[in-house]
Amino acid sequence: MGLTLIKFTDTKSMPRFFLHIDDGTQRIKDEEGSELLDLTAARGEALDAARQLWASAILAGHDIKAHRFVITDHDGRVLETVDMDDVLPKRLTGRLGL
Amino acid sequence: MAFNNRLLRALSPADQETLRPHLRWSELERGTVLVSPDEPITHVWFPESGLTSIIAMAGTDQGIEVGLAGRDGLVGMPLVLDADRTPHRIFMQVTGAGYRIDGDLFRTVLDDHAGIRKLLLRYVQAYSTQTTYTALSNAMHTVEERLARWLLMSHDRQDADEIPLTHDFLALMLGVRRPSVTIALHSLEGLGFIKATRGLVLVRKREELEEFAGAGYGIPEAEYERLIGQLR
Repeated sequence: MGLTLIKFTDTKSMPRFFLHIDDGTQRIKDEEGSELLDLTAARGEALDAARQLWASAILAGHDIKAHRFVITDHDGRVLETVDMDDVLPKRLTGRLGL
Repeated sequence: MAFNNRLLRALSPADQETLRPHLRWSELERGTVLVSPDEPITHVWFPESGLTSIIAMAGTDQGIEVGLAGRDGLVGMPLVLDADRTPHRIFMQVTGAGYRIDGDLFRTVLDDHAGIRKLLLRYVQAYSTQTTYTALSNAMHTVEERLARWLLMSHDRQDADEIPLTHDFLALMLGVRRPSVTIALHSLEGLGFIKATRGLVLVRKREELEEFAGAGYGIPEAEYERLIGQLR
């Protein structure tokens, strides 16, 4: 039939990054990880995700300022952490006294 | 031989015999593209198992799921509606198998057999109700509620309680970043409704999940049963 397979990720060259979430008391594990170009891309992914998580949290009345992303490689080595309030507008963080 | 596809099953024995000689078996691996955006649709598929996703495209490599069909439906709906293509992309999201029929042949069969045509038009109505409730859910519900709805819809279309899905797929289905999926799965797991392991979601408390999903789940499913017959 010659059906094509949809290509979701390039498995050839890109490393896999895991974006775990620490909520202050426990770690919500990212079981699957994402294939991303490099650590900068992984950090960008975490920042974009943080914006989305804040949006959901604010709508639901939750506070996630103690949450942070812990980016690891396949072996669980911590490569970087990203705080949720890194994405809040500075004026807002000032007013909230964060 | 009995069909598992609910549409083929709902046809009269005479209409089933009309279609049967034209049906060809297809194994449908996860990721197989059945319909590409703006390209002529060559076949209609009646899945016996597995799940297909209908994606509204934003550019060439981004999109969001707007519809879902498995053994409840068919792929290639534009041909039922006298259109030859769609801007949507349709692909296998969970591996399965089903019958395909040549598109031109399918149109001829529809012209000549009112019973088949009417059933499939009723399916289009049921499917359209599903997409309107997806719109409602996308606008009104949290990621957790939408995930619950989506898991129920997948669960309806298979026999097992274990749904084989990756977080990447779920993110595409729900139109969110992957960490939002991680958090939402964690929440539903915390409530005891599901158990999520790598590449697999186990539905543990279906009734509670239905209650949690709220208005997004139930009405399209009831409409399907009114128009076609048993869904699950």
